[in-house]
Amino acid sequence: MRTKSFQLILLLTLVFHLGVQGQSTVPSTGRNGMVATAHPLASAAALDMLRSGGNAVDAAVAAAFTIGVVEPDGSGLGGGGGMVIYLKKEQRSYFVNYYGRSSENASGADFKSGRDNYTAKAIEVPGTVAGLLLAHEKFGSLPLKKILEPAIRHAENGFPVDGTLAKLILDNTENIMSDSVTASIFLEDGFPRMEGEKLVQKDLATVLKTIAENGRDGFYEGKLAAAFVKGIRERGGVLTENDFSSYQAEITSPVTGNYRGYDILTANLPQSGISLIQGLNMLENYDLKASGHFSESARTLHIIAEVEKLVYADRYQFVGDPDFVTVPLTGLASKEYARVRFNSINQSKLDPPNYREATYGNPAEFNYDLKKEPVHEMESAGGHTTHLSVIDKDGNAVALTQTLGLFFGSVQTVAGVLFNNAMTNFSYNVENVNYLQNSKRCRSSITPTIILKNGSPYLILGSPGASRIITTLIELVVNVIDFGMDVNEANMAPRFYCQKFEDFLHVESGIKPEVRSELEKMGHKIKVYEGIDLFFGGAQMIYVDAVTGEYSGSADKRRGGIAIGY
Amino acid sequence: MKTRASSIIILLALIFSASIVQAQKFEQPVLISSAGQSADVKLVKMLAQRQGLNATTVLMAKPSDLNGIKTLIIVPGFSSKGLGAAGVSQQEEFERVQSLIKSANELQIPIVMLHIGGNARRKGQSDSFNQLVGDNSKLMIVVKQADEDGFFTTISNAKKIPLLLVDKIAETEIPLGNLFK
Repeated sequence: MRTKSFQLILLLTLVFHLGVQGQSTVPSTGRNGMVATAHPLASAAALDMLRSGGNAVDAAVAAAFTIGVVEPDGSGLGGGGGMVIYLKKEQRSYFVNYYGRSSENASGADFKSGRDNYTAKAIEVPGTVAGLLLAHEKFGSLPLKKILEPAIRHAENGFPVDGTLAKLILDNTENIMSDSVTASIFLEDGFPRMEGEKLVQKDLATVLKTIAENGRDGFYEGKLAAAFVKGIRERGGVLTENDFSSYQAEITSPVTGNYRGYDILTANLPQSGISLIQGLNMLENYDLKASGHFSESARTLHIIAEVEKLVYADRYQFVGDPDFVTVPLTGLASKEYARVRFNSINQSKLDPPNYREATYGNPAEFNYDLKKEPVHEMESAGGHTTHLSVIDKDGNAVALTQTLGLFFGSVQTVAGVLFNNAMTNFSYNVENVNYLQNSKRCRSSITPTIILKNGSPYLILGSPGASRIITTLIELVVNVIDFGMDVNEANMAPRFYCQKFEDFLHVESGIKPEVRSELEKMGHKIKVYEGIDLFFGGAQMIYVDAVTGEYSGSADKRRGGIAIGY
Repeated sequence: MKTRASSIIILLALIFSASIVQAQKFEQPVLISSAGQSADVKLVKMLAQRQGLNATTVLMAKPSDLNGIKTLIIVPGFSSKGLGAAGVSQQEEFERVQSLIKSANELQIPIVMLHIGGNARRKGQSDSFNQLVGDNSKLMIVVKQADEDGFFTTISNAKKIPLLLVDKIAETEIPLGNLFK
């Protein structure tokens, strides 16, 4: 009852902006805790845990379960993700890898990217439940039932569809209609539910209650797992009960780096923290501040775009599941390698003249046998996701990104759970390190990140946005560290995206026209998005003032969400 | 007493506006197209099919697609995903719709606007398309969430264009079908 009263007060506070400024022009501030997620109800769940005496992991796990209910297009029990945790007192960091794995039968699935994206063939073993419960078990402090209570309540009682979800349902109606169960949730009489309408997911609530009661085994073993497998296989998928029962989330170390004196803790393989580190290492060789912000300086933008292009060329060639391929992590993360790659950039013009001609580098000197065949393809350009950032009163921090693959995943709802279509992230080129194999994790763009200054959290960030995640995070870090922007300015600054497998330099219209004109003279072909666009992600960020200890949070206006501090 | 009077007035207004819509008849065959390339046009195609209309849907309709057409239905709503799939810029799409409307006007083919996206297809980049199509319509059928700020009511009043507001997308189906009966 107290929790419900608190939730009501909190929501009223949000509505009337009493001391909470989620998506306004100034960051939300606080000293005891800060959360930033893509949905107010998830932020409220996280804050409730902090105020109940929980820590950042309790808050992040509660928010992650909740956001899977209230932002069902972007993540959920049927998906996977990754979480970076920093425990301030111990000065220790962890990476919880809960991305899914392909089935033990995956190579027999006859999955064809494009044709089968929205079918059960695209489903891989989901990791979200295992990962969140593992993190909670190892690092949390509140009871699991309390952690899951907000998610269960919103699934059972329903919640109002917000503008972002309404638009996504409308945009994806045709796909949603391909599964009658999914259609019964998101459509009414065959037509998309609109903003303000209540979305109820009672079957999902039942699954959440099973997890609350029986933990990991309630989801991955027994009746529920059997129901998942039966339903998925009836729809043409290949998952087995052994796939579910044998799935394990992992706790490892984050990949680490350093940028201009700040320590970076970020997602380990086969997620894309290494690409973020490589990009920042390369940019360290250039005085970005002196060159001017990229929204006003074509030269700065060009340099960063060229860095992003080369980072992707390396990523597609070298980054994969380390259980299956040898990834030259040390080489990719090294400052010397970054210098070599940066020095190959023509700072005055696009060279070579097409992004697709960019070549991967040579970390061979770091004991890697270079494959001679270049990569000519990339995985699905889709991939939509959610990120949340949390810090508690003790300075413990969590950056968490999770996904279903594309919006609404495979659109297959089985026994109450909307399943992912992460198989779309594999390569079907046998020479590629990300080639589909049985029980393998696909390369993923997700890059939850914590940046430290003198051993304390300084910036907690991450974003959805598929292949735009890495470029968005590079630009956000540069905005804060190089250009001194506050966290809201950094988040709302115009963005751009460039990589090897693109024909255009994608820019938001906030990149000045004269800058765009100069970039075109340099050889770039530009595609402009008016205003700010969800294409460039939806970052949730927290900044910690090293002097005052105050927390500032920012939720990206490109996506519905809110940062709440107290 | 006051409440009852208000209710009667509202009811009369609804009957009156519905009767204006009912009074307007349009002919088939119908061309359905998008303004902004949102997926909404596919839902309207479905509505038209359910009503058994003799309708063709062309997402990127050109003036030449108007040959033999008696009524043009345009579904406004911006989608960057849709534009990307069509391979056009926002400006190119706007010019296409302008050209289509100009030809329809020259051929005296009436235009019906069907706006079904609610708030999801208002403001931002959608409103330029909403304005363009609304201004040139003989009739607007709108899911009323999109008119909360009076955007379409303003167009209706200024240009004397009948406006039918409905609560839900599903409620556009019968009025749509009745236009041709």
